[in-house]
Amino acid sequence: MNAGPYSDKKVQQYLQEEFIPVKSQCFWDKRTEAMKQFLVSWTPTLLVLDSSGREHHRVVGFVPSDDFMAHLKLGKGKVLFDRFRFADALKEFTAVTEQHPEAGVVPEAVFFTGVADYWNSHDPKGLRRAYDTLTARFPESEWARRAQPYAQIPL
Amino acid sequence: MAEIKWETDLQAALTLAEKSHKPVFLDFWFDG
Repeated sequence: MNAGPYSDKKVQQYLQEEFIPVKSQCFWDKRTEAMKQFLVSWTPTLLVLDSSGREHHRVVGFVPSDDFMAHLKLGKGKVLFDRFRFADALKEFTAVTEQHPEAGVVPEAVFFTGVADYWNSHDPKGLRRAYDTLTARFPESEWARRAQPYAQIPL
Repeated sequence: MAEIKWETDLQAALTLAEKSHKPVFLDFWFDG
């Protein structure tokens, strides 16, 4: 049952310590209630939920260990962000960018670092720093384009 | 380090999440 990224000791430890891990088997010929509830149409589908069962982050398809860890931290950050716990969310988004710099979700984490920093400090410079980082490191990323409105914020 | 202790009952997992203040990680998988 523990294959792919789940065979990585770091993933095992992080999942066990920071999440309640749940497995839900899919049957395409007789879709389960959970598949219907979360509109699952491919596997693996990986979700991060809050304790009310609300979805905050979704990954569809296989991801290797480092990307997987980055997704977990981004997802945890989004749960905190959506609950207005911006200082705590900021720590998770920063962990993605600093601990998993090659992961595919880093541009998204940089964007949300800027937004969480803004909400936490009410200083718009964080948004501008996110724009600067995205245009310097990930100029082709959609997240760089999403940050375009922050280019005019003075530092 | 012990392997991951997977919950299979979502409602039970949500109750654990409420008590522990942890988020839930839900893996939909297919044995095929």
